[in-house]
Amino acid sequence: MTRVLIVDDTAFMRKLLKNILFGAGFDIAGEAENGKQAVELYQKLRPDVVTMDVVMPEMTGLDALKQIKSVDKDAKIVMCTAIGQEQIVKTAIKLGARGYIIKPFQAPKVIEEIKKVVGA
Amino acid sequence: MTNKVHLRTPVKIYTEGWVDTELVITDDSLIIGKQKISLGEIEDLEDIDVNGVSCIQIKKDSKIIIQLPGNIHQQVFRYIAFNLKADKFAVYFLPSATVGGVVSSAMQWEKGYFSVTDEGLWFLSSKNQQRIPVENLGSIKKDTREVGGKQKVVLVLSHVEKSNVVTSLIFCPESTLEMLENYLQRLFDKHKPSINLSENEKQILTLIYSGLDFASIENIIGISTDELNKYYDRLVDAGLAKVVKIRKEVELSPRGVSMVDKISKR
Repeated sequence: MTRVLIVDDTAFMRKLLKNILFGAGFDIAGEAENGKQAVELYQKLRPDVVTMDVVMPEMTGLDALKQIKSVDKDAKIVMCTAIGQEQIVKTAIKLGARGYIIKPFQAPKVIEEIKKVVGA
Repeated sequence: MTNKVHLRTPVKIYTEGWVDTELVITDDSLIIGKQKISLGEIEDLEDIDVNGVSCIQIKKDSKIIIQLPGNIHQQVFRYIAFNLKADKFAVYFLPSATVGGVVSSAMQWEKGYFSVTDEGLWFLSSKNQQRIPVENLGSIKKDTREVGGKQKVVLVLSHVEKSNVVTSLIFCPESTLEMLENYLQRLFDKHKPSINLSENEKQILTLIYSGLDFASIENIIGISTDELNKYYDRLVDAGLAKVVKIRKEVELSPRGVSMVDKISKR
């Protein structure tokens, strides 16, 4: 079963993603509420895929993406951005993000993107 | 001065049923049967579906619905769209640049007009006549995007299309862009529903958009069925949601209880 690490600073968004992914048969490896926690949890849990919010306190999603990719160049990270942040998406893809999902989330699109990234 | 006739065609007009008549299009008007409508007085236009048939709805004081032969439907729609009563701006536009957050690689910048009526916004070019109802507009803001290989300031409109959040981009000289942004913001504020949502209501709306079911929403928000029903009622009353299914809550009758008793003794 594909294990997902959910990274978002709002509990509501984490719950929403958890519900969508769990309902689609993914296993939730863990949750982090900022980039720093995401880097620590990634190294500890080694999930198959990470959903990474961009704007977070302490360490942004882009910085966390860079750090995770520096410890595991094969890490599969999907960025979660708001509408209108296409520029951030481009930067994230250059830094090694495998995909992106846009808020507000629509369950089928989230599932499709995660499956695409893990190659399921 | 005589008006040049551009088109003369049989047409059906809807008045409690379809009536056969004739449509004549001149430089400045439409003549449908005996009714003459000045193009400059047409307030809005929509492509609508009447019992599975594609029709054109023209708004001028009241609404007029016409059904044209299929081969000229688009041509007439385009002509009216370009000539109706609206404020028109010469722009470059990229309609539906992202749909549901996914970049539409098939879409390309087009040269044309951005036209604004009281009820709709239009992207107009020779191949595209797209209407966005003002009530579907979500936000208007300036941002920097790539236009012709260079970073330019553009106007980003987010709007709803078939339940998807879509963004469309407009590029024009910066002074026009500034004016357009203010103009659209005023129009948007005029049509904005005057409702203040609580945090729970905002979250419930988001969860409905995400496609979550009743039980999942109850669970995520941490409220009872009755409480969620009340929130739904408020969202429906505010015109933010519509009822598509009514769930039935039942309890067993004595015969039902007896049946369960028998089943469990098998």
